[in-house]
Amino acid sequence: MSRRGMRRVGHIALAVVLPLLVLIAWQVAVWVFSPREWMLPSPVDVLQAGWDARDRLWFHAQWTILIAVIGLTLAVLIGGALAYLIARSRIAWLAIYPWVIVSQVIPLVALAPLLVLWFPPFVAIVLLAVLMSIFPVIVAGVDGLRGVDPDLVRAARGLGADDAWAWRHVRLPASLPRLFTGIRLAAVFVVSGAVVGELVASERGLGALTRLSAGQFETPVTFAGVAVLALIGLALFGLVVLAEALALPWTRRATRPGA
Amino acid sequence: MEGARLALGGDPPLDVLGGVDLIAHAGQVTAVIGPSGCGKSTLLDAIAGLQPLDAGQVDTGGDVALMPQRDALMPWLTLGDNVAMGARVAGVASAEARRLAAGAIRRLGLEGFADHYPHALSGGMRQRGALARTLIAGRSTWLLDEPFGALDALTRAGMHDVLRDLHAAESPTILLVTHDISEAVGLAHRVLVSGPGPMRIVDDITVDPADPAVAAGRALDALRSAGALA
Repeated sequence: MSRRGMRRVGHIALAVVLPLLVLIAWQVAVWVFSPREWMLPSPVDVLQAGWDARDRLWFHAQWTILIAVIGLTLAVLIGGALAYLIARSRIAWLAIYPWVIVSQVIPLVALAPLLVLWFPPFVAIVLLAVLMSIFPVIVAGVDGLRGVDPDLVRAARGLGADDAWAWRHVRLPASLPRLFTGIRLAAVFVVSGAVVGELVASERGLGALTRLSAGQFETPVTFAGVAVLALIGLALFGLVVLAEALALPWTRRATRPGA
Repeated sequence: MEGARLALGGDPPLDVLGGVDLIAHAGQVTAVIGPSGCGKSTLLDAIAGLQPLDAGQVDTGGDVALMPQRDALMPWLTLGDNVAMGARVAGVASAEARRLAAGAIRRLGLEGFADHYPHALSGGMRQRGALARTLIAGRSTWLLDEPFGALDALTRAGMHDVLRDLHAAESPTILLVTHDISEAVGLAHRVLVSGPGPMRIVDDITVDPADPAVAAGRALDALRSAGALA
């Protein structure tokens, strides 16, 4: 194996070692102190319960994945469009941007019961997922569009491009790397939004599963549900990173420390 | 390009162009030299029509291409697409623009690099790319804003040769802004000297190509008496 390859294996090992140590410590602690299973199951108990309940987990996970994907798609489309409006028009900047920020000061969890009151459960949950994830998209989009290197715009304008051309061919593509940073954050938040909605208003989804299973002292299943949620969040994040690498090939260069 | 008289500019009420009279003769290289911050970039923006004037007028026939400081290549486009942008801006179809770009890339000695992104190219190569982009815009007047300021001395000397060759072949009217006296007298037929901002032309020197040192000395004297040497 090349030195580079060895080092890569080393990096992966490092990323795996710490969580593994935590799991082992947890397992040992449960052996030593033997708490009731419904208080704190061991990792092995959780794995076993998760495997036994795999059909149930998958049934609920599908729902959560569906809501997270719809929510993220809407957040990117609506958030991107709002970012464009806010960056492009001074009136939109003054009229919309303050309210975007104010909307984030309200704890969205507190809005969940209201949304459930007003909308059918599915719509309410998707709305929560969108509200929880749209903010980073808007902020990153606005920053990206307004922070474009002025020399790039000047280069296009100096060749005779009008303002509209420069927006379409310079500002929009130049803003994409920052926009993707916002979308990566949104991919993580959208799962939280979906779960909050499901906790309050749904009989289906991993949020509903954790509520129901915890209520029946099926604590190992609750843990398994949380673990699957983490996996969904990771997968969504990974998908966005992949999309970014495909959409922005010019940003693919060594930026990792030590790489 | 005919006379251009400009007064005031910039949005904070700061006198940037203090009444500039400037004529660049067709087919010649005219250098504008002055200290940093004397309003040279604003002058070019005004000539290119990017910066409206408070008073005075510019007459260029609208046939200008401005090349900003540094190379300002789009990092998300390959070198080929960057160069093609020079024609795409004017509405040239994609295939035709690519063909033009391929020709310009060959002329500037960049063949084989059309598919590279700018970050994979050296500073000198990126600058050649920016020149190629300006070249295929097909304008008769080029405004160059300190085009070689960010390059090391050897690369800059090489770029001077590239620009001389391009000028010999295309004979565009070039207005070159710089703060490097040797660059100005080495490239230009005429050197205009500006004092510190607000900008005004304090001397108009014709360069004798046989003895550019004379023009360089006179430009230095003009800068000194204008108080432009810190």
